[in-house]
Amino acid sequence: MSAVGLGTNRPGLGARLRLGALGLNLLTYALAFLIFFPILWTVVTGFKTEADAAATPPVFLFHATLANFRAVFSSDYASYFDNSLIIAGGSTLLALLLGLPAAYALAFRPSKHTPKILSWVLSTKMLPAVGALIPLIVIYKREGLYDTRLGMILLYAAFNLPLVIWMMRSFFADLPREILEAATVDGAGFVRIMTRIVIPLSAPGLAATALLSVIFSWNEFLLAVNLTAVNAPTLPVFISGFTTSEGLFWAKLSAASTMAVAPVILAGWLAQRSLVRGLTFGAVK
Amino acid sequence: MILPALVFLAVMTQAPFVVTLWYSFRQWVITDPTIPHKWVGFENFRYELTEDPIFRTAILNTVEFTAAIVGGSLVLGLAFALLLNRSFPLRGVARSLMIAPFFVMPTVNAVVQKNLFLNPIFGLSNWVWTSLGFHRVDWLATHPKLSIIEMAVWQWAPFMMLILLAGLQGISDEVREAARIDGAGPVTEFRRITLPLLGPYIQLAILLGMIYILQLFAEIFVATQGGPGTETTTLPYYIYQTIAQANDVGSSSAEGVLAIVFSAIIATLLLRLLTRTFRSGLTA
Repeated sequence: MSAVGLGTNRPGLGARLRLGALGLNLLTYALAFLIFFPILWTVVTGFKTEADAAATPPVFLFHATLANFRAVFSSDYASYFDNSLIIAGGSTLLALLLGLPAAYALAFRPSKHTPKILSWVLSTKMLPAVGALIPLIVIYKREGLYDTRLGMILLYAAFNLPLVIWMMRSFFADLPREILEAATVDGAGFVRIMTRIVIPLSAPGLAATALLSVIFSWNEFLLAVNLTAVNAPTLPVFISGFTTSEGLFWAKLSAASTMAVAPVILAGWLAQRSLVRGLTFGAVK
Repeated sequence: MILPALVFLAVMTQAPFVVTLWYSFRQWVITDPTIPHKWVGFENFRYELTEDPIFRTAILNTVEFTAAIVGGSLVLGLAFALLLNRSFPLRGVARSLMIAPFFVMPTVNAVVQKNLFLNPIFGLSNWVWTSLGFHRVDWLATHPKLSIIEMAVWQWAPFMMLILLAGLQGISDEVREAARIDGAGPVTEFRRITLPLLGPYIQLAILLGMIYILQLFAEIFVATQGGPGTETTTLPYYIYQTIAQANDVGSSSAEGVLAIVFSAIIATLLLRLLTRTFRSGLTA
């Protein structure tokens, strides 16, 4: 194969390059559509009647109805939704409450133990949850935490704490040190520095961290299905039991799925800029 | 200021592992009072490692799934990242659409694909498949492994894409320019410049992916219940069955301890990589 140097100005090369780029663009659009299609199809099916939803060949033009969404929300779906909201929100708040001071100390007052502490914090996130599951079932039942929102909040907070500490430490480390030093000289205490300077300056990072933490709690299934029964089950548990209890109601299934997934996809898009940093625990900025 | 966080973490996440270890040396079936609750030493481990045929199947399945899903998502993720790492109209929209699957609740993914797509009679996949002239296939029954892998790859390819895209954006244009002036074609440029510079990101993506995908549970719970037979029984799913269906605390704990050991090996490698980048930072 002979390489074509940049110097050789063959006629038509530019045009061919542009055509190639256009081809790649079209390929990218097609792929993006294909990858997103299952989500789109679920949303669309949520607006169909049950007959249209299970029709084969599939129906692409139909009269949209909101009946499925109404039906789903008048069932016990609402209580699962509430549980998800309270548990995801509560655990995120608790993780931030514990994690922000720790991240602050690790970022601004590093000691020779800092790398060790960080590494240990992260290691707690890497062991499989299933390895902790058995004692959690036994202990939670004994201590009255089984099937309670509080029990799930405590657990999810613990599972999101490493994310909060690592991500916020990495955002704090990006702040200009001079401002903090000036504030310390002016006699501002930790709470003041935190609420007046550090948190406002790292607000986008904080928002992304909180969103990621909410997403992980919202989607978690293994612990939820094993540690809840009737009082505190979350949406993933509802969805997993849908087919067995409801039979072949695809339109309602799609409506329920759409409402379970849409908030998270929107949150994910909002957190997009800091997503990689969160998913890699701050290793990639 | 660090102490409350550390204590909370230790109590909630580390203490259970210690208790799991303790339980793993005991004979204890919650629902069967005729079996005495007592210390049995390494008996549970001996049984799991030498006698239990399902445990061995579960390990093999877990390795197979992890390799296929990590490998598949990595290759697709790299392709997506390369396509997105160019400037073209609507690039942001394309990127947003392509990362969306990662946010989808795994149980929703499994329920929707199992019914709307893979249902043998009404599913969309078979409509496309038969329209192309092929015979109807009951995907989950005849290709259970492939179906689970497909579901998981759909979710994890975007994750790989995100990490690799960040890596690609870190490669400076000057390096590429220099390579092009030296007469490198696109293939050479990819092999000699892009891949080596992407190395640490690929490593990171593989290790993180393995940590999460080793824990694959929701898709299996919803779509196949580990079946048909034990075809899709993974280690987490088997542990779930041992504790939630057989109520066997001793055996499930021994399985749990072994699962922790496997993950710990991978986690150690990942931690070493992350602490190294914690000192230097991957992107300048």
